[in-house]
Amino acid sequence: MGTKKSNRSSGQRRAVIIGGVRTPFLRSFGAFTRLDTIALGAAAVGGLLERYPVERREIDGLTWGGVIVPSATANIGREIVLEMGLPPEVEGSTVSRVCTSGLYAITTAAAAIERGDADVMIAGGGDSTSNAELKMPQALVQKLAPVAMNRKSGPADYLRALMKLNLPNDILPKPPSPRERSTGELMGEAGEKMGQRNNISREAQDAFAVQSHQRAAAAMAAGRFAEEVAAMDAPGGKLVTADDNVRGDASVEKMARLRPAFAKKGTLTAGNSSTLTDGAGAVLLMSEERARALGHDKLVAFRSWSYDAVDPADQMLLGPAVSMPRAAERAGMKREHIDLVDIHEAFAAQVLVVLKMLGSDAFARQRLGMPGAFGAIAPEEINVHGGSIALGHPFAATGARMVTTMSNELKLTGKGSALLGICGGGGVSAAAVLEQI
Amino acid sequence: MSDFLVELGANKTARNMIKTLGLPLPLPQKLRRATGPLEERPLHDRPALVQHLSAGELKQSVALALARMGANSWVVDDGDSDLALYAEQGEAFGRVPRALAPGEKLDGPRAACLIFDGTGAAGPQELAEAHRFFQTHIRGLGRCGRVLVLARPPAQCATPAAAAAARGLEGFVRTVAKEIGRKGSTAQIVFVAPGAEARLEPALRFLLSPRSAFVTGQPVHLSAAVKTDGEFPATRPLDARVALVTGAAQGIGAAIARALAREGAQVVVMDRPAEAERAAAVAQEVGGTPLLCDLTDEDAPADTRALLKDRYDGRLDIVVHNAGVTRDKMLANMDSDRWDMTMDVNLISLIRLNEALLPLMPDDGRVVCLSSIAGLAGNAGQSNYAASKAGLVGYVQARAAELCGRGIAVNAVAPGFIETRMTARIPLAIREVARRFSSLSQGGQPGDVAEAVLFLASPGAAGMSGQVLRVCGQNLIGA
Repeated sequence: MGTKKSNRSSGQRRAVIIGGVRTPFLRSFGAFTRLDTIALGAAAVGGLLERYPVERREIDGLTWGGVIVPSATANIGREIVLEMGLPPEVEGSTVSRVCTSGLYAITTAAAAIERGDADVMIAGGGDSTSNAELKMPQALVQKLAPVAMNRKSGPADYLRALMKLNLPNDILPKPPSPRERSTGELMGEAGEKMGQRNNISREAQDAFAVQSHQRAAAAMAAGRFAEEVAAMDAPGGKLVTADDNVRGDASVEKMARLRPAFAKKGTLTAGNSSTLTDGAGAVLLMSEERARALGHDKLVAFRSWSYDAVDPADQMLLGPAVSMPRAAERAGMKREHIDLVDIHEAFAAQVLVVLKMLGSDAFARQRLGMPGAFGAIAPEEINVHGGSIALGHPFAATGARMVTTMSNELKLTGKGSALLGICGGGGVSAAAVLEQI
Repeated sequence: MSDFLVELGANKTARNMIKTLGLPLPLPQKLRRATGPLEERPLHDRPALVQHLSAGELKQSVALALARMGANSWVVDDGDSDLALYAEQGEAFGRVPRALAPGEKLDGPRAACLIFDGTGAAGPQELAEAHRFFQTHIRGLGRCGRVLVLARPPAQCATPAAAAAARGLEGFVRTVAKEIGRKGSTAQIVFVAPGAEARLEPALRFLLSPRSAFVTGQPVHLSAAVKTDGEFPATRPLDARVALVTGAAQGIGAAIARALAREGAQVVVMDRPAEAERAAAVAQEVGGTPLLCDLTDEDAPADTRALLKDRYDGRLDIVVHNAGVTRDKMLANMDSDRWDMTMDVNLISLIRLNEALLPLMPDDGRVVCLSSIAGLAGNAGQSNYAASKAGLVGYVQARAAELCGRGIAVNAVAPGFIETRMTARIPLAIREVARRFSSLSQGGQPGDVAEAVLFLASPGAAGMSGQVLRVCGQNLIGA
């Protein structure tokens, strides 16, 4: 857990963010049901290249984040390149780091540019929970595959293999388990536990969720997302132009009526938790030199990032409380230097715990080895245009959404810097500092 | 080496049947033991009940240690600001304390441990607080629970009345241990000398966790005498350390070698050449090095140093003197051979080897010697063995006093009845009596001794030196 200093040294090449575009985020099993993660990714990248035209042969590669990886390919990134008809020389890769995958893909691309490996990169991520696959039992595979793969197998061999199956267990498909592999816990249970252990009230959670919805609705009404959300045709010919989970009429009274979702006397509800969503987001990155040559003047770049992990058996989604101060430290920045804070809202409870820890001197000393707290941040100060509770959370797309919204916000407001934080399953976390250069 | 009554007691149906029939069979509680490496949070999500006297001097250390160990603290709120202090210390770990009014019982899950901080007691009158606390909560302590009382060393108390209170708590704890042993629970008192507060957490990690399953009724003294840098890793405390364990081919020695290796140590498995096969097997299992030589051989120290130089650059952080023999006879029948053999292996050779190895040890080295209850309490037919094992305590105390300035802690572990191949050879009737003759009504496992040795071999044992830690289930004989 050594504290590394800045991710980059002065005088080094810089990667800059030209812009980002995402698909609308739709609740799973809605209009995007028949679009798999590759189709969604291609839609986002298509929208990106339409809005930020770049000569196709200039693109060096595409780095993509994905959490629910389809069995047809493990390398979604490369499939998007081929699906899009981009030049076959554009390399493609896929990274998977649960909910931080999108940000991880983008900083991986930025690092490639800053190392001098590439000049122009597309990065982002997406997921389609609607297309999570059922898995045939491994016993079936292991009993039948040797026979099926042997060209000399005859009907008798197949019959023998079939006789060996234990019915019905060997042939019933297994749904993907939403539970943590190591702890057996659901995300929501982990969030519930965090809320309880840190005395986060139901009222505070509901109020935060309402803020998320109202801000997202306001942003949509004001056309703030117009530049970053590309309308697209859903299968069946329906034109989808906007996210479908945002409730502008959300109120604490309505929120208070919802029943606990994860524990009998719990405080987490469907209202103050993020929901399963389909969508994808893509970001265009270039070396600063190339961007300036192409006439881009308002530029946003990564000043630092930090990827960390905490014990999932303790407080699994606490990670941003570790990553955000670390990223700021690497950027040489303190709380007062940060203009915007954007935190992925897995659960309102989890975000509020993270904020509480960011303001805790004890946490800084005991858990980070830092002399004092990063700084108090009120819930109203973060996520100026709402977050995952309102907009939805297509796992790997969230990082791309946050980078896009925040870099646009810096350009639109002229503010200097934004700090991003994302938690993830298995206890991993990520944070990054964006700055206007 | 299983204990029929413990196994029977672990069977719910059998337990109920014996209870219904009113059979006079004592069914010892199967002890909860830890498996695997030391945990970051040994009390994860378990309720810990605490009361501090208003003038308690260990509030901060205990509050922080419990939070770090993952416990959910329930604090008896007697009008002072203990709750706020616990909230402050628990904040970083997401452990918000809850309050209990004096006399109020815990509602919900049974407590994993009851902790009473008796430091700051001005006199015996204040022991009434201890009485009230334990009287209220002792029935709410779960099976294999832990009782822990904290006090200042009587000799360092400001007034004779305060010393009386502190010493009084020891008698209290020894009695509580006897009362709760039936349920597999243990009780200890930790005397914390002024200045040793920072050394409390490692001791709590051992005493409050299942690692101390067979340690009960013990006074533990923590002092600031041993020099230390104050770094006490909770997990993998022996990473990059080299340890030598004598008599490590089987039984308790092998268990010790496994425990030390599990926590990161590179272990030299030393035993007699006759045990070559077993020693090699243990060494292979723990990824260590076998060392075959006869302890009583004059060349043993030189051979050991040569191997350490050859394999580990002459580095040695931990020595565990486990090798020992018994040659029992009543004194009138004991010939000189028996006497000399026992004395030579158990004490004379041990001192010779240890003196030769001390110069190799770094400033945070650890020496642990295996003594025996027989040496502390005496045992008919073991005058030779008892003399050697008691003599070893004298050696430990003298060496400890001398080496604390270097930061080396020297301690002894005194096992009681442990289920090994050696004790399996004791005739059944005697074995059965010996087993039941403790507060926990059962024998210990080699692993219980190994966990105690591991604790004393780790950096966290900096608070202890020159002490004898008994792993005996509070054997009913002896001091």
